[in-house]
Amino acid sequence: MSKTAFVQLLDLAAGLVLVISFAALWLRRLATVARMIAVQGLALAAVAAVIGIYEHESELVGVAVLVGILRAGVLPGLIRRAVRAGDELREVESIINVPASLLAASALTLVSYATTRDVVALSPAPQVRAIPLGIAVVLIGMLMIVTRRKAVLQMMAVLMIDNGIALVMFLGTSGVPLAIELGIASDVLLAVFILQVLTNRIRTKFGGTDLDQLRALRD
Amino acid sequence: MATLIVLLPLIPAVVAALVAIFGWNLATAWAGPVACLTTAGIGVVLAVHVLDHGPASAFGGQLRVDALSALMIIFIGVVGSISAVYGIAYLRTELDNGSTTARRAKLFGVLMQLTIAAMLVVVVADNLGVLWVAIETTTIATVLLVGHRRDRASVEASWKYLVLGSVGVATALLGTVLVYFVSRHSGIDASSALRWSTLVEHAGALDPGALRVAMGFVVVGYGTKAGLAPVHSWIPDAYSQAPAPVAALMSGVLSSMSMYALLRLKVVADIALGAGFVRGLLLVAALFSLVAAASLMVTQRDYKRLLAYSSVEHMGLVALAAAIGSPLAMSAALLHLIGHGLAKSVAFCSSGELLFATGTTHIARVRGLLYQRRFIGATFGLSALALVAMPPFSIFASELAILRAGISDRLTWAIVIAAVLLLVIFGAVAVHSLNMLAGEDPPGAGHMELTGHTSSITARIPLVGGLVLAAAIGITIWPISRLLDTAAKVLAR
Amino acid sequence: MSLTGTAVALLQVVLTIAAAPFLVGVMRLIRARLEGRVGPPIVQPWRDLRKLLGKDRMVSDNTGWVFSIAPLVLLASATLVAGIVPFLSTKSALDQVGDLFAVVYLLLLGTVFLSLAGLDAGTAFGGMGSSRAMTITAIAEPTVLVAIFALSVSTGSSNLGSIVAATLAHPATAASPESLLAFAALAVVTIAETGRIPVDNPNTHLELTMIHEAMVLEYSGPDLALIELAAHLRLVVFLGLLSNLFVPWGIATTAQPLQLLGAAVAVAVKIVVLAAVIAIVEVFMAKVRLFRVPELLAASFVLAFLAVTASFFLA
Repeated sequence: MSKTAFVQLLDLAAGLVLVISFAALWLRRLATVARMIAVQGLALAAVAAVIGIYEHESELVGVAVLVGILRAGVLPGLIRRAVRAGDELREVESIINVPASLLAASALTLVSYATTRDVVALSPAPQVRAIPLGIAVVLIGMLMIVTRRKAVLQMMAVLMIDNGIALVMFLGTSGVPLAIELGIASDVLLAVFILQVLTNRIRTKFGGTDLDQLRALRD
Repeated sequence: MATLIVLLPLIPAVVAALVAIFGWNLATAWAGPVACLTTAGIGVVLAVHVLDHGPASAFGGQLRVDALSALMIIFIGVVGSISAVYGIAYLRTELDNGSTTARRAKLFGVLMQLTIAAMLVVVVADNLGVLWVAIETTTIATVLLVGHRRDRASVEASWKYLVLGSVGVATALLGTVLVYFVSRHSGIDASSALRWSTLVEHAGALDPGALRVAMGFVVVGYGTKAGLAPVHSWIPDAYSQAPAPVAALMSGVLSSMSMYALLRLKVVADIALGAGFVRGLLLVAALFSLVAAASLMVTQRDYKRLLAYSSVEHMGLVALAAAIGSPLAMSAALLHLIGHGLAKSVAFCSSGELLFATGTTHIARVRGLLYQRRFIGATFGLSALALVAMPPFSIFASELAILRAGISDRLTWAIVIAAVLLLVIFGAVAVHSLNMLAGEDPPGAGHMELTGHTSSITARIPLVGGLVLAAAIGITIWPISRLLDTAAKVLAR
Repeated sequence: MSLTGTAVALLQVVLTIAAAPFLVGVMRLIRARLEGRVGPPIVQPWRDLRKLLGKDRMVSDNTGWVFSIAPLVLLASATLVAGIVPFLSTKSALDQVGDLFAVVYLLLLGTVFLSLAGLDAGTAFGGMGSSRAMTITAIAEPTVLVAIFALSVSTGSSNLGSIVAATLAHPATAASPESLLAFAALAVVTIAETGRIPVDNPNTHLELTMIHEAMVLEYSGPDLALIELAAHLRLVVFLGLLSNLFVPWGIATTAQPLQLLGAAVAVAVKIVVLAAVIAIVEVFMAKVRLFRVPELLAASFVLAFLAVTASFFLA
């Protein structure tokens, strides 16, 4: 792979990961947002694969395949189950409206560029230049957790945050040592699984996954 | 030594497996406390070894025990035993009155031991990545424990805990990844780029600008898990809804694990960035925590939430000590962690007995406890005294040391603010607990309703034991003083 | 201003005006065929214009001068833009003013005048249409600016001709994230500004949703013909801009007649393909609810914004 093609493909895949975060804020149907998260997982796997192929690291290509299976298959599958189990209105409910969340997300993107200037300055590699994209995805995921009032959406946001961190991981250092990577992956898998279990419990106890009902505990 | 280190987290893990296979019965239940005491014993052996021969490592250097780790191992073992023994009594009561099932009891036993195993991994790991995985594992295990009762409130608490907890810990992971990135770019090879020992050695060569970003994420992330304000909102919910032994474990040791991670990372940051950066972050978090705790404890109506906010307060104090950073402050911080762990685990366990005896968590509905249920009243009162830093308990000594260290480090303004807030908290706890212990029923309200619950001997042992230990360290620090000093040297500037 | 340059600009204007109604005819025909109708012949828009031009001018007594000159301003601005935008050659006579800001504000000028005219007549529908059009424009115009700005960052110039020439010189940049994002943003804006589904439906006069049609409700005869022609022109201009900014291949870099002929064919093919895509999509798509339109446009603004960020930080 030539250098320009590598940069092009890498930027495209990494950019797609970020754009999908915006799409997840923009879209209204829960099922569509869930699908977006799966596509984000695929784009993430593509980033890992592109770096792996360019640097001739077969281990990273293998990791890319695993990431693809986990983040575009298994985890979104769990989310889809949680979405499908609910009979309630299948639309996103948000504290702030869609244009405002999009603008807030744009501001967060700028914040992530501003805060990571020193990180990016560390290396001239094209991967490192894209690190702010990953951090922006993390911040947008947090925005989604704060503003979205549905259990399944917060679940997707948690997954989005993890996707962002994984993006930083691949871009910054072509991944961390394999053992730790596996540990992280299994923890994420467990966390999402338990989130799904809890979503079911919320639904049976509260008759819906609207988090505004969760207000028994406060001072 | 290497075998002992590897064995350490395996002991509770094996107990967890035993409970999973054979279910919750007399033998497997008592295996838990035995495992905890064994780890505490191994901790003592390791401590003696470390003090004489320096840090020991195992597993190709992935695991490493220095004085700080040894201290933490003993700490986990002791507080783990308190909550594990009380857990037996707690589950027996719940099984007897039918509020839980054998299956849930089994899950409870498995997850308690898994949490302890993961915490042991946290303190022996010499690798930031392994440490992160272990801390996230404790989150996942304790979420299900918080939801043990499966009613609306506990589901709500576990949801909030998991979402905020995993976001917080994810932030810490982002920071960890960036630390890895920075350390790789300063020429450290992949296998040791996340090791404490290597990072401390090479801290001077790390790029300060990029490390600052990484440290910001790490402090926010682990600060969330430790329960530092302003991201403490999950603490009162989780601690008040968790079963008493779980709350004891979480508040007593688990929050100290994230603190431990913060303190370790601070060493690297202090060398690479100078003392100012992390100190500023910690000072802000410390004062925020004290303010949040003080303001919400005064008006508190729920005694379990009162104890939860007291945890926010004490974590704030530890953060304050860490911000000061002198050797005196660091050993005070460690002593404070231990004293708080002992006192708070006793307090939560006795709040569990209190809940069984009265059926309510409202402060206003518990009156004259000392006359009606002497044992529960006494343990609750004494642990409350310990928590507001009354002598002879060790928190008195550590708080005083923190305040003194702060003044000699020219942070007098922060110390003055903290002291005022501590007085407010003292007043709040004193008024609330005096009312509960010796107060009379308010006119018009009915008498406090008591169930027939009496505390079993299994419940009494850990409560008394914990209080005795907390007082003993307060009276003479001699048994652990050398270990404490050596551990503080690892952390101090 | 060279002679050939002037010739090229004039050629562009003439060709665009001649072709614009045909393009609308093509789109209507495609929609009709897909919907199973026979549909009007392609020359129908031209026939409509001729018919309208032959009628008498009817103006309400309650209108002022804005109402009278709005069609002229609209058509004049669209014509001028048709001369500026690099359709046939990067060496247009108006190259010096072929600046993205000039183009955007010329197009805005027409929109503003049309909205003022909608208000001027003092009818309920006109006011409604104007307010809706302004809501859309308020988000859409900055989007266009920001999106083209993203492209000009990598070129270092806000001149449309230079941007196109730079893309020709470095074909790889056409697939870079910033240019893809800018393309997506501009595509949404094109649809909004030309009043196509899902923002507006050019074929209905449903009071609940209409935007463009509401503003021009009071016009008749030759005035309406001018407005219609201007609307057709704007469609061509937007589609041409879209296609030549991102897929410039085929455009002439000199002013030689043979090259210009090739460029005309190329740009015609590109525009027709784009128009066909839009027409096909329209068949399968419903108009979004009116309050969703700002969300759609906000999304396109964000895309444009991301394009700028990407062009600054990734390049």
